[in-house]
Amino acid sequence: MTDSPQASGRDAVEDTFPKLLRLHAQARGDRPAFRHKDRGIWKTWNWREVYAQVRALAHGLKTLGVGEGDKVAIVGANRPMLYWTLTATQMLRAVPVPVYADAVADEMAFVIENADVKIAVAQDQEQVDKLLSIADRLKFLSHILYDEERGLRDYAETNLVALSDLAAAGRAALGAEASLERALDVVIDSGRADDASIMLYTSGTTGRSKGVVLSAGRSTQAARDTVAFDHLTDRDEQLGYLPLAWVGDHYMNYAQAFVAGSCIACPENADTVSQDLREIGPTFYFAPPRVFEAQLTRIMIRMEDAGALKRKMFDHFIAVARKWGERILNRQRVPLPARLHYMLGEMLVYGPLKNALGFSRIRVAYTAGEAIGGELFSFYRSIGLNLKQLYGQTEAFLYVTAHPDGAIRADTVGAPAPHVEIRIADDGEVQFKSPGQFVCYYKDPEKTAEALTPDGFVKTGDAGFFDDDGQLRILDRAKDVGKLVDGTIFAPKYIENKLKFFSNIKEAVAFGDRRDFVTVMINIDLTAVGNWAERNGISYASYQEIAGNPRVYDLIAGHVEEVNRSLAAEPRMAGAQIRRFLILPKELDADDGELTRTQKVRRGFIAERYAPLVKGLYDGSEIADISTEVTFEDGRKGVISGRVKIVDIGQSPALRAGSRAA
Amino acid sequence: MSGGEILLDVEHVSLAFGGVRAINDVSFNIARGEIRAIIGPNGAGKTSMLNVINGFYHPQHGRISFHGKTRARMKPYEAASQGIARTFQNVALFKGMTTLDNILTGRSLKMRRNLFWQMLRHGPALAEEIEHRKFCEEIIDFLEIEHIRKAPVGTLPYGLQKRVELGRALAMEPTLLLLDEPMAGMNLEEKQDMSRFIVDVNQHFGTTIALIEHDIGVVMDLSDRIVVLEYGHKIADGTPDEVKSDQKVIDAYLGVAH
Repeated sequence: MTDSPQASGRDAVEDTFPKLLRLHAQARGDRPAFRHKDRGIWKTWNWREVYAQVRALAHGLKTLGVGEGDKVAIVGANRPMLYWTLTATQMLRAVPVPVYADAVADEMAFVIENADVKIAVAQDQEQVDKLLSIADRLKFLSHILYDEERGLRDYAETNLVALSDLAAAGRAALGAEASLERALDVVIDSGRADDASIMLYTSGTTGRSKGVVLSAGRSTQAARDTVAFDHLTDRDEQLGYLPLAWVGDHYMNYAQAFVAGSCIACPENADTVSQDLREIGPTFYFAPPRVFEAQLTRIMIRMEDAGALKRKMFDHFIAVARKWGERILNRQRVPLPARLHYMLGEMLVYGPLKNALGFSRIRVAYTAGEAIGGELFSFYRSIGLNLKQLYGQTEAFLYVTAHPDGAIRADTVGAPAPHVEIRIADDGEVQFKSPGQFVCYYKDPEKTAEALTPDGFVKTGDAGFFDDDGQLRILDRAKDVGKLVDGTIFAPKYIENKLKFFSNIKEAVAFGDRRDFVTVMINIDLTAVGNWAERNGISYASYQEIAGNPRVYDLIAGHVEEVNRSLAAEPRMAGAQIRRFLILPKELDADDGELTRTQKVRRGFIAERYAPLVKGLYDGSEIADISTEVTFEDGRKGVISGRVKIVDIGQSPALRAGSRAA
Repeated sequence: MSGGEILLDVEHVSLAFGGVRAINDVSFNIARGEIRAIIGPNGAGKTSMLNVINGFYHPQHGRISFHGKTRARMKPYEAASQGIARTFQNVALFKGMTTLDNILTGRSLKMRRNLFWQMLRHGPALAEEIEHRKFCEEIIDFLEIEHIRKAPVGTLPYGLQKRVELGRALAMEPTLLLLDEPMAGMNLEEKQDMSRFIVDVNQHFGTTIALIEHDIGVVMDLSDRIVVLEYGHKIADGTPDEVKSDQKVIDAYLGVAH
């Protein structure tokens, strides 16, 4: 054995995940590695058990013909068995390809076909059905494996195998023949740093997704760097609830846990995540801004319904936290009375609140993916949650920049992560070189070449700049930054984000490139607006109805005016104030192709689909008719049609004389 | 599935409330393992029929045999202990109790230890409770209601309450499950879920199901055989296809003058 107890050096021996697993089975075999809540009870597996289970699965996969370089698709939620199958695949030097579980059959077919998948592993009947419906298009697919048996017992397909059966057979075979155990050890040892470790498909904000190939050595190295950066150890615990196919889950949960030897807890199912979070109390946590936002909205709604005394106490101590909390978190000097006042608040408000959210034990929390509102960001930091931002990409194997402890600001995404090199190209594009940097796009040398500069930097496609203290600020997608007819810079996401910081606004889509002025389409947030409606005695029967309510329009118009005021305060943006807006009668949905699977708006697609509304926004009409197709959750299609009101908004005068006031 | 062993036989049953004849000389049977629907316009006597079957009402005339045993008068709890469970048209749950506790009440007839032991919550009583909890967790998993396990049912949306009620009925491990409008007031997606659960219950647990439902599409898809009632009379009985093409049924639903 070549294991070293210290695996944190930059030239560690464990350059693949199976080798790391073996190390933990030996070094900390009794420490918890995975937890899963099943039938209401948390079950725990330690590293030794996981290692044995993964070996059994690996042998089972081998008997199905999986070998070096073969692709194994994994479709489903965060269940231990699926994580283990992923490692078992890597153990055979084959390549796991996780697929988004909520992908419709067609999207799934694209990935599985593109990746030349040989074996597909599905969570349950739902996913098996999807796979069977596309099976005739997939010529390489030989077997479908499944985790949850329910409903699948009576299926006639002969190439359908239960993972539990496969593991049991593997375990029996390994137990009976020592030579098979040795053969497996040889395969693990033969794993090399430049083996493809995983293929992650990009979300496809711009067209078809691409398979990003990440190598074992680079993946483990990148994870080592950030584990050291955030001081993660085998005492840490995280909740694996993000999609398996997303780089965030594979990095933060899988890779970091396999390097640090920490524990991954799998939620009971997608609907129970918030309860499971409370029960597990993770120490390391990641959530996209919208999750933090939704939580804050829920807190505020519940506080509004609370008694007067509680509300007073909450307001008082939140004010204290706003004043002192961040300084205390950043270990700055704070006068003693303020510190004591804050401690009292911790006892009465912040502590219980964090406990209710499942945040009590968090040492490090990250958010990324979208800009986060300053208010929102400071709120969580002020109550003592060490929330930081990072900026990353699948192509970097996540981290490009991250906030180091103590230097945290809402409007930046942090300084370069350890061993990451960043530069800003002449056109403003952010480019980087990172330890985890991808190898190539699968079977697409052309796209690979496009993504790289001649000297090996990865082009992010994002426009940004470094501010004075060396932290990166991201403006928008470089290609989305446009100009109004009069030459004013128009950064749509910048405007959309400002709007989305209002809890009543869920999504916003801004238009303005090569137009005379800026307009936006708005999606209201049904939870927040619904609650507001209830308190104001407004009744409604459907999303469409409340979205068209004139008082809701007044409410949103107030927010738009406020955004205009804040735009007016920035010399570069004052000319790009919002002139007209409308509220969409339907929620933007990934099933209709309006959002990506990671919930980013697809602006071009929306402009096409709602062309009559865009026309209305610019031809001065007060009403536009729209009829559009919607996909229901069961896959059926229907049509929503209706009239949408368009409203004009006043412009705020630019604060500085001489700038282009609209 | 029809044509098998007869589980429940209703013979010439009549039921009157004072002068109102709710059920008039109706006979039909339910075969083991089938899904049997009872349909008919409002006031046709469908719910009364279910109440007769589970012993809540006692018919003035006629006989009912279950498992081959003909009964004279039976109380609802006797029906329950013989393996007949039901859900109600208007959800009848303990609103202040959690989903889990509501489903556990369905196990009460299966508890062997007396109240004294259960209060001690020790030894055999504890082992028994764990066993029942396990069974209820299987149901919770089956009905996909993990996320509301600890939620008071009064706070749940209607569609979920219906599901909890089904869970409580299933906790009794019934031989015959009576469902009174399981899909009333549900949206399309909830109806699809509920249909799937009914079919799964039928196929995986082999539970015989009698259901009343107004959504004719659902009834035609789910049922093996259908009884059609109108003004307390049986006007048709057969497979969905037979019933669909029956002129009397068409008249009843289109409201042709008599």
